[in-house]
Amino acid sequence: MSETPPALAPSPAAPSQAQPARPILTVRELAKAFGPTRALRSCSFELRPGEVHAIVGENGSGKSTLVKILAGVHHPDEGEVTIADRVEVRRRSPRQAQNAGLVTVFQEVLVVGPQSVLDNIWLGTDGLFAVPISADDKRQRAQEALAELLVSPPSLDAPVELLSLSDRQACCIARALVRNPRVLILDESTSALDVATRDRLFAVVRRLCAGGGAVIFISHRMDEIEELADRITVLRSGESVATLKRGESNADLLVRHMTGEDHLTAGVEVLPPKARLRGDVLLRTEALKLHPTAEPIDIALRAGELIGLAGLEGHGADAFLQALRGAHSGQGRVLTGSGDRLTSPAQAVAAGVVYVPRDRRRESLFPTLPVLENFSLPTLRLDRNWGLVRWRATRTRLSRYAEQLAVRLASPTQLITALSGGNQQKIILARWLAAGPRVLLLNDPTRGVDLNAKRDLYRLLEQLATEGVAVVMLSTEVDEHVELMDRVLVFREGSISSVLEREQLGRARLISAFFGAPGGQDE
Amino acid sequence: MSRALDSVRTRPYGIALAMALGLLIANVVARSSFATLSSWPATLATFAPFALAAMASTPAIISGGGGIDISIGPLLNLVNIVIVAVLIPHGLGSPWVAIPIALALGAAVGAVNGVLVTVFRYQSVLATLCTLFVLEGVSLKVVPQPTSGSAAWLTHLGAKIGPVPGALILIAAPLLVWIGLGRTAYLRSLFSVGGDDTASFSAGVNVTAVRILAFTIGGTFAGIAGIALAAVTQTADATQALQYTLPALAAVAIGGTSLLGGRGSLLGSVAGAAIMFLIQTLLDSLTVSDLWLQVVYGALLLLAIVLGSVLSAPHRTRAEPI
Repeated sequence: MSETPPALAPSPAAPSQAQPARPILTVRELAKAFGPTRALRSCSFELRPGEVHAIVGENGSGKSTLVKILAGVHHPDEGEVTIADRVEVRRRSPRQAQNAGLVTVFQEVLVVGPQSVLDNIWLGTDGLFAVPISADDKRQRAQEALAELLVSPPSLDAPVELLSLSDRQACCIARALVRNPRVLILDESTSALDVATRDRLFAVVRRLCAGGGAVIFISHRMDEIEELADRITVLRSGESVATLKRGESNADLLVRHMTGEDHLTAGVEVLPPKARLRGDVLLRTEALKLHPTAEPIDIALRAGELIGLAGLEGHGADAFLQALRGAHSGQGRVLTGSGDRLTSPAQAVAAGVVYVPRDRRRESLFPTLPVLENFSLPTLRLDRNWGLVRWRATRTRLSRYAEQLAVRLASPTQLITALSGGNQQKIILARWLAAGPRVLLLNDPTRGVDLNAKRDLYRLLEQLATEGVAVVMLSTEVDEHVELMDRVLVFREGSISSVLEREQLGRARLISAFFGAPGGQDE
Repeated sequence: MSRALDSVRTRPYGIALAMALGLLIANVVARSSFATLSSWPATLATFAPFALAAMASTPAIISGGGGIDISIGPLLNLVNIVIVAVLIPHGLGSPWVAIPIALALGAAVGAVNGVLVTVFRYQSVLATLCTLFVLEGVSLKVVPQPTSGSAAWLTHLGAKIGPVPGALILIAAPLLVWIGLGRTAYLRSLFSVGGDDTASFSAGVNVTAVRILAFTIGGTFAGIAGIALAAVTQTADATQALQYTLPALAAVAIGGTSLLGGRGSLLGSVAGAAIMFLIQTLLDSLTVSDLWLQVVYGALLLLAIVLGSVLSAPHRTRAEPI
């Protein structure tokens, strides 16, 4: 076997540096158009056995289309896919792709809610009538796959709709693992996972690669790509523009390739920290208990603060955010600055506390309505004239926000679903900014949002804080806390385990706080 | 006790079955002759076409994607007409010929519906409405006037075969087919496709085949329903086409099957049909004035639906992490 060079990064990747092995998968000049939109123009890359190959690009650069072609969901117009020297047929089904060893975990958490965990994991492996794998075998292999991903796996017979988002996504990953993939495609699959599961997934990825398989990895998170990827292919406007090796790439270079522009050299970095004045208390909690045995929380949020909520999923950050918006039924109270108690979301909105939910599709968007209505529904009363809505006034308001938030908008009457994820999120934000909030509660707003749109959002949040809004943001991305927040509340087991001020913030410190470990060294 | 209660509440058909039993008892209390054993074959024979129509409507609804087959009523009536007014007069009235033809006719029409909905992607309400009109037209062409026809086996089915009421055999047939399918992969795929077709498709399920088969199975059950109608009426009447369409869909819903697909059961549909049927017989026994009959019937049905949704365990608990 080839010798591993010493003193390399602690990744077992790159089995033999001397001669690249024969590619396990070759993608040649793939192209796909949906009507007039050319989602993919020309995408080529090679996947070698044993490597983790990241695909990066802005939203709308064609990543998802590429994945769906590889997975057999879409059929390409041009180009070909070769798996281990066998050219794949152009019109193949997801089943055929899987039989060739190409297994995909999609960005959307694709589970059948009423079905059991077991049935979800083996979904799609049976024939129309035939059951090729015995029931005992299925249970055992499902159990193994789940145990590899989760510290405390759910019961195989539980309906999957009762699980947390992270566990549901773990079921999707287990579904891929029981198929023994030669090539595993992870399309933004980590964004729904909690940190512990994500780390376990990375271990699985390394195991697959060590066994001669390969992984195509798509993520918006630079830290994950740096940690995992051996090579990185950059997509821009549907074309593959560069493939970089580990060590050759850095965040700046990637951003340059992704945007095709040179002036954006800031990486993920945000504006330099400004000394903002902390103003009056806008919202405070009194002996708030997220569950009966948790420590009570007494905390005050002041005008002009950017406050991060961090912690593993399910440890209370989300519940705390819900409490702040008036949707808390347990012990303790949430009070406004003037001492009014918040007991319902409607009351919170009236008090200037607005909430931007996490699940854009289910909780925020009206997918069948145009941008204009999506923007204006909660604030239509501003445009009333004798009881009638003056749509022209609404349009004026929208265009003001669209400009401020740098939304690329073809027309205010286009469907909101025609926008990219980042632009959808900006419209949702504009919807609530139009209500003139004093406290802005954000639930993981940058999930599935591309780098540029993320930076637009950061800039906006900074500006809002400067104007005296208290911004409370739950984020699953550690870097966001480190670079953006004035204060981070870390939740553990339903209580606030530590409060980190800006000067104390660092990646290692924050992550060790997630796990309740003491200390943690930064630099 | 509470575990027994839970198992009733969490099964999709549990509540409906319990309410049907309650109504059965109410019927016996209202008119003790209802319990007379000798009256059962006739009562069941009247009930059978409706119960079978409800069962025939079930697979398409479970298959999701707005799947619904409103042509079941006219289809079962056409099967009835073909047996009574075509096969029997032409000397093809033997059960060994008539029953396969009835089932094949039902399956074929169901398959056509399935192809229209999946391959051509028409909305299933529209597609099956068109089928409904065609079936009605064909029925009227075959029997412009009501005619009657009889065969010994039909008479037996309408009464008893040996000690067993014939209608019971007809109602049991789809349930047995369903149990058989439950031992294959098909039912699991059907409920998966109904629960989330995107997830199922991307995981490798042949969504198109599963849905076409759902409509085909429904059509086959409609064929059995046609035999049941022939057995009880022994009359071919084209104007009877629509009497089962909407009540059958209502029975499916009352039986705990979600009209959004992915949840439900065949037994629930029988129970749902029984609830509707037993409310009617109860009102008959209580000699409710004809003028009020429909009003009371509708109100009681509403009560049954409300009770069902209040008592049943929640379908969906939001999986928000705390």
